[in-house]
Amino acid sequence: MEKSIENIWKEGFLESDALVAPKINNLYNQKSIHIIDKFKRMFRINLIAIVVFSFVFLVASYFIGIPITGIIFFVMLSVLVYFNKKLLNDLEQIDLGDSSYQYLKAFNQWKNNQISINKKFSRVLYPMIFISLILGFWFKDAQGMPLGERLVTEVLKGFPDIYLIFGIPLIVIVMVSIILVLLAYFGSRIYKWDLNIVYGRVFRKLDELMTDIESLRS
Amino acid sequence: MSSDFYKTSILPFAGIIIKLCRAYTNSQEDFEDYYQEVCLQIWRSKDNFREESQWSTWVCRISLNVCLTLLKKKKNNVQHFVSDSITIEETEDNYAFSNESLNLLYDAIRKLSEIDRAVIMLYLEEKSQKEIAEIIGTNPNNIGVRVKRIKNRLKKILDGKIN
Repeated sequence: MEKSIENIWKEGFLESDALVAPKINNLYNQKSIHIIDKFKRMFRINLIAIVVFSFVFLVASYFIGIPITGIIFFVMLSVLVYFNKKLLNDLEQIDLGDSSYQYLKAFNQWKNNQISINKKFSRVLYPMIFISLILGFWFKDAQGMPLGERLVTEVLKGFPDIYLIFGIPLIVIVMVSIILVLLAYFGSRIYKWDLNIVYGRVFRKLDELMTDIESLRS
Repeated sequence: MSSDFYKTSILPFAGIIIKLCRAYTNSQEDFEDYYQEVCLQIWRSKDNFREESQWSTWVCRISLNVCLTLLKKKKNNVQHFVSDSITIEETEDNYAFSNESLNLLYDAIRKLSEIDRAVIMLYLEEKSQKEIAEIIGTNPNNIGVRVKRIKNRLKKILDGKIN
């Protein structure tokens, strides 16, 4: 070695091409695409999981003896999947050719629309799931008669003067109604909580990215 | 990231950032990604700078952390496909300086361990032992011996190449 490494280092970096800083350009585009692709993947997997679960539960409910629950579950979840698949198709239409900011803004708009639709749907979905469980177990066979009727018969033995409407104790109707109203009222919050568990991290990353880009533009 | 911040707080240190990123990458594409990620990370963490060290030390530490993190991610990705030990990647032909001796030195530096690469680059950038220790998070007493050992190793690699 003729030269010391210190000299090679110093002389090498005297050349004009050695220290050209790359432009900061495409990173946000790549990040936006990457995060939204990740969300799409998760969303698709989630829909597939719901379809699989609704089929499995439909079959299982028949064997457990609560087919009404299985059928209502299946119908409600199928409607949920149908609307969300349509929403996913709309998401695929977002133009990747736009700038990362426009792309993220378009995605954000889509996300808000999707959340708003699902919030409304949740106000029906959760009460329906509850009622399907009640109906399923009410009509479940219990030694030759529906479980609900058997329970009422047992209750009547203890409280013969209980007030009945169509053969159902009024207190049960009131309690179920209160739970239904509460589920309808809090349905959107339950959905938001559920959404946060599944997609919270991705949404937070997207928000960070949007803030970064907005700060860049200001 | 505002262009003012880039011009005043990053660009004056672009040299050391470029040199560090070069030591951990083998292609122009990777280099640009690493450089951009380092700049972004410096900008994002600027509020965490508490002036306990110099800004240049802070910049070096972030640059090094980002490079090591990205390198680790890349290695993990490669390990998904390659079950055997990872071979050292060849540097792309178009990813070279016009100065041939500098290319040889960089190739030799890339053969060092990740931390040794950082130590020798910071030494060559005339950082003090205390600063080097602060950046890589080690005891300053060991830096002198470590630099000597790395230089010997580099000389051996370079001699081997030239011969």
